[in-house]
Amino acid sequence: MTQTETRDAAVAPPRSGRGGLRGRAPGRWTGYLFVVPAVVFVVATVLYPLIFNIDLSFRDVGVAQIVAGDAEWVGWENYADQLGRDEFWHALVTSLLYTGLAVAFAFALGMALAVYFNQRFPGRNVMRSLLLLAWILPTVVSANVWRWMLDGSYGLLNTLLDAAGLVDGDIFWLARPVPALFAVVFATAWSFTPFIMILLLAGLQGIPDTLYEAATIDGAGAWRRFVSVTMPLMRPVNLTALLLCFIYTFKTFDTVFLMTRGGPGEATMVLPIYAYNEAFEFFRFDTGAVATTLMLVVPLGLSVLYFRYLRKEETA
Amino acid sequence: MRRTGGRAGAAWTARVAAVLVTAAVLAACGSGDSDDETSGDGGSTTVSLWHFYNTPDTPTGAALQNLLDRYEEEHEGVTIEPRHIPYADFARTLLQAAAGGDLPDIALINAFTTQSMAEAGVIQDLSDRVEDWGEQDAYFETSWNTTQGDGSTYGIPHVADAYAVYYNEAMFAEAGLEPPTTWAEMQDVATQLATGDRYGLAFSGIEGDEGATALIIRMLAAGADPSDIDSPEGVAALTQFSDMIAAGAVSNGVLTWTEEDAKNQFANGQAAMMINSATYVSVLAEEYPELQWNVALLPSDAEASTFLSAENLTISATSENADAAWDIITWMQEPDVLAEYLPERNKLAARDDVDTGDDPIRAVFAEQLQHAWAPEGTLAAASSEVFTHIQSAMQAAVSGAASPEDALADAQAKIDEALANVE
Repeated sequence: MTQTETRDAAVAPPRSGRGGLRGRAPGRWTGYLFVVPAVVFVVATVLYPLIFNIDLSFRDVGVAQIVAGDAEWVGWENYADQLGRDEFWHALVTSLLYTGLAVAFAFALGMALAVYFNQRFPGRNVMRSLLLLAWILPTVVSANVWRWMLDGSYGLLNTLLDAAGLVDGDIFWLARPVPALFAVVFATAWSFTPFIMILLLAGLQGIPDTLYEAATIDGAGAWRRFVSVTMPLMRPVNLTALLLCFIYTFKTFDTVFLMTRGGPGEATMVLPIYAYNEAFEFFRFDTGAVATTLMLVVPLGLSVLYFRYLRKEETA
Repeated sequence: MRRTGGRAGAAWTARVAAVLVTAAVLAACGSGDSDDETSGDGGSTTVSLWHFYNTPDTPTGAALQNLLDRYEEEHEGVTIEPRHIPYADFARTLLQAAAGGDLPDIALINAFTTQSMAEAGVIQDLSDRVEDWGEQDAYFETSWNTTQGDGSTYGIPHVADAYAVYYNEAMFAEAGLEPPTTWAEMQDVATQLATGDRYGLAFSGIEGDEGATALIIRMLAAGADPSDIDSPEGVAALTQFSDMIAAGAVSNGVLTWTEEDAKNQFANGQAAMMINSATYVSVLAEEYPELQWNVALLPSDAEASTFLSAENLTISATSENADAAWDIITWMQEPDVLAEYLPERNKLAARDDVDTGDDPIRAVFAEQLQHAWAPEGTLAAASSEVFTHIQSAMQAAVSGAASPEDALADAQAKIDEALANVE
């Protein structure tokens, strides 16, 4: 068995070297041919819609134009219109607030769980798998369950608080601006926590035990070990987890739409729902395209900062 | 070294270009249009029909399916292919189909969107056909007006529906009360009936245009125009709604309820009254046999208006079977066909020559329909957006974020902008 492998390995290099002279070009071409499906896929599903959307944002596209397909080029007019609208800025601020809070909660909870599950104890794998359910549960299920739990007349939360004597009467959490915002934040953080936990857990397992042993010998307690050993070594993993979570959350549409539709009023009107309303409720496809294009800017900016940081880390 | 690098670079560019060209060719192959949907084989015609009445396994979907089956039975050689698209996606899907050149022959659309679909070139002008048909005078004016755009007719009404007050007879008898006839009485009665876990009145006030209906009805009663809500009448209407919610006569939960949720509140005895359309008549009768309920006309003040809920039958601009489609939609409007269909569908006739029996509940809705209001002109074209702002005003006032005056002034500014966008 071992012998055969060694012989193959020994024979292989000269053969490919010889064949390379004659069959080099076709070989390379075959290679590129294998890439074609991936390129077609990316062009058709990512590049084309992206460019189409950006093109749309520079034209005057209402209901009539989308049908006739002859939209007039208006340059930056749509952008000026959107940047001058209070509703757009409100949606952007709401989006940042929602994303910031959700990421903070998800990260704090995810880190706590990762540290917890990084220890060995019976039933660890079962519990870890159960936690992942929150991540794999379809949003249409989890968001509706949240909506029911928070309902004023038959919701679980109200029943519990009522039984504990903390509230009197029906409180419709999703009908009030501030509780509604926190409700969508918690629902989002709840579903992202297991994802963060898995990412961080992988990072934690890469930290050698010897470092902790050394720290312990130096007299460091559990908190000191976490702050001085775990956190510095986890920095790249933390950043990746935060960035991924931020991007995913920033573009979240389903959870918020199913729970509040952006309401009450405009309390949870995040950018994706704002863009959806512009395009598909009010049929202003042009300003909807502007909103989605501008929506790209924030995650894109963060990604650039992230890659710049990574490069600095590598060269340092 | 440098020379080789340059050549390799050029070769690389060429290869990338080749890959991209291949990709483009493959993509082009995929987008070839196939025209296999409209023309049937040998003498038979297939007509496609899009609607949002739910799938055939639901009561509303079954009623439509039975109607279409009956047409097929009576008309040999015609096949109708219905497709259900959920209401929330309907207008969007229709526009996307129009942009993609893939429209159905018949579209059963929300009456208020008729005008904008006509302006978009999605549906065709039926003026000449209607002229030959000659039955337009049989329709209620409000309902017929929704089919008009720029002096032309773009559809014919399918069904109509109106909002009225459902009330729990047992609760009213117990409290010794009668259904309210004015909004002042409504506030009084709703407050008296709200006890313990029970509220006086339920309606849908959910985010979006759906949740504006009840407040629009209240504004119409006060004599306010829904496109001009920043008025003393508008303020009176909204103030009363805020007061009723603050006093517990109406649940704060209305802001999260759809019309279906409002029906559930009423059916479960958690609300003594609800404002809703005739849609739920047979659901309440069949699924809640214990419930003792009846229907009363909406309270009136300056006006006695209700909100029209209606659908129009339209023929798409690109239909190749317009004659067959016209035959189907006019057959669907024949009085004896409607007489059988409407009770099953829980809807009312948009025309006055249909005999659907003497059911007292249907009679109340039919009478309410005589006073139906529907948006017209620019308001119709911008109705979805305007109604959304009206709901926002209610939300702001009810949550205490703004006074009714400020909430309405804020909404009015947005409504003016929305109306200006349309003009």
